Amino acid sequence: MNGHLVGPAHRRRGLHSVFERAFDEQRRALVGWAAGLGGLGLVMLGMYPSVRGNRSFAKLLEAYPQALRTLFGLADYTSGPGYLRAEIFSLTGPLLFVIFAILWGTDLTAGEEERRTVDILLANPVSRARVVVEKWAAMVVGVLVVAASLGLVLVLIGPAVKLHVGLVALSAAIVSTALLAVLFGTLGLAVGAATGHRGLARGVTALAAVAAYLLSSLPELVSWLRPARPLSPWYHALGVDPMGTGYRPLHLLVLLAMTAVCLAVATVSFDRRDLAT
Amino acid sequence: MGLGGARPTRTLLSPAGEGGHDPAAPPIALESVTKHYRGGGGIDEVTFEVERGEVFGFLGPNGAGKTTTIRLLLDLIRPEAGKVALFGLDARGSSVAIRRRIGYLPGDLALYDRLTARELLTHFAHLRGGPPWAETEKLAARFDLELDRPIRALSKGNRQKVGLVQALMGDPQLLILDEPTSGLDPLVQHQVHALMREVAAEGRTVFLSSHVLSEVGDVADRVGLIRQGRVVAVRRVEDLRRRSVHLVEVTGKAPFDSDAFARVPGVVRRDLDGPTAHLEVSGGIDPVVRALAGYELEDLSIREPSLEELFLAFYQGGGAT
Repeated sequence: MNGHLVGPAHRRRGLHSVFERAFDEQRRALVGWAAGLGGLGLVMLGMYPSVRGNRSFAKLLEAYPQALRTLFGLADYTSGPGYLRAEIFSLTGPLLFVIFAILWGTDLTAGEEERRTVDILLANPVSRARVVVEKWAAMVVGVLVVAASLGLVLVLIGPAVKLHVGLVALSAAIVSTALLAVLFGTLGLAVGAATGHRGLARGVTALAAVAAYLLSSLPELVSWLRPARPLSPWYHALGVDPMGTGYRPLHLLVLLAMTAVCLAVATVSFDRRDLAT
Repeated sequence: MGLGGARPTRTLLSPAGEGGHDPAAPPIALESVTKHYRGGGGIDEVTFEVERGEVFGFLGPNGAGKTTTIRLLLDLIRPEAGKVALFGLDARGSSVAIRRRIGYLPGDLALYDRLTARELLTHFAHLRGGPPWAETEKLAARFDLELDRPIRALSKGNRQKVGLVQALMGDPQLLILDEPTSGLDPLVQHQVHALMREVAAEGRTVFLSSHVLSEVGDVADRVGLIRQGRVVAVRRVEDLRRRSVHLVEVTGKAPFDSDAFARVPGVVRRDLDGPTAHLEVSGGIDPVVRALAGYELEDLSIREPSLEELFLAFYQGGGAT
């Protein structure tokens, strides 16, 4: 077949909207991240047979101080859900998702301003609010694609290594992780939209993500922090242990509400500013 | 038609308010618009109007506030004081409706480098509600633009062409072009000038910013001179021409008489330095050329005044509006 015909679809029918353009812009990064997170799932599944039902390993872990076991999500490590919780959904997975979303979210408007393409984009009859919302939607879809990649690997390959995890628990963990990433991507979008500086937005948002993680995890060790826990989106996403307890609608609603606030701030602040000065 | 200066007393915003607009409203009207940047620069109390169907040249040195004014028109930045109206609509409140009728070429042109010109143009065509591709392709052909190479692989001149085509496509009522011919070779510059004249002849309007006097002189009907953030004059080009001076430097085989050129019409200043005479000629150059015919010459140069010299001529000649 001729190379012309096998190119990405948009080369034939054109990029229609700001959404499509925003999605197309991160096409390569998205493929990389989806492959990376899928790969992470594969590697973790590949190592599972060596810990599955391993009594002596379980004993070893039981010797760890309780606090550490909770902090690193080591409870029930040798079972399927326990293993996934510890290896993917306590830190590594959400961290990667959050980084991915922050990189994308902070580039949406601030990148456009820093590359000075915002002038030519807004020469078109599209409102600034529409630009923000469509670009945001592209980032959300991107996060869902990466989440689907990880989810599919775990669901399809899991049975091959006798990983017994309920679909509800697994999907709850992945959805929570994705919503957490969307929230931080949206926060990054908001800081970038309010300042026009991508680097600053990345720094601030990464700091917020670390703080959220610590605020969710440290109360396991430092009990007086416990009342502050609900302030942390990380707590609402993963601190409530979706892998163990399934969907927690109220906590997910808190995440969605926080995201809505960030998106509103992004839209309003981008609309009010002098751009790319 | 007098001096064609700004008419600041007219109401700039249509009383019709939101929604409807006044068809007689000027494409561009600024009233006492002020905008400063933290780092310095900006514009002060800028007032002028652009009429429908004209090419309006916005002339000034780099850093004078041309791009600031243009970005205010596009609602990319907001004024601290004053009113910016396009087609009688508020630049901020009706920005989307305004932009539906505008083609804009930014001065500091940055494009989506990974796309090809074709991809960029089809994308923008969709955002604008789809001007027919055949017409866009015709424009691209007119500029000899390569459509299927990534924009990042194009030369500066070719990128500028992409910018021009996207500004022109869909036949906007108002073209706002910030230094449109920078980076273009003279042949293409000429094409661009011809296009601007065509657009104006169709009753559409061109707002052309430039720091090149000859460019503005060639294509504009009226010129607004901006300097250090202030519009110091708005003139018809014919008036500017009439007012403009030529600088003549002539060396004769023999020294000139002390009263040489004294009675030649239009010579406003003369310095005789042995065989060399420096003349400043206002208005037409013809009388001086005729007078020179009586001498045997070693050397002769006639040059147009620079922008700066033109400004000086304005001030000295009482060029206030």
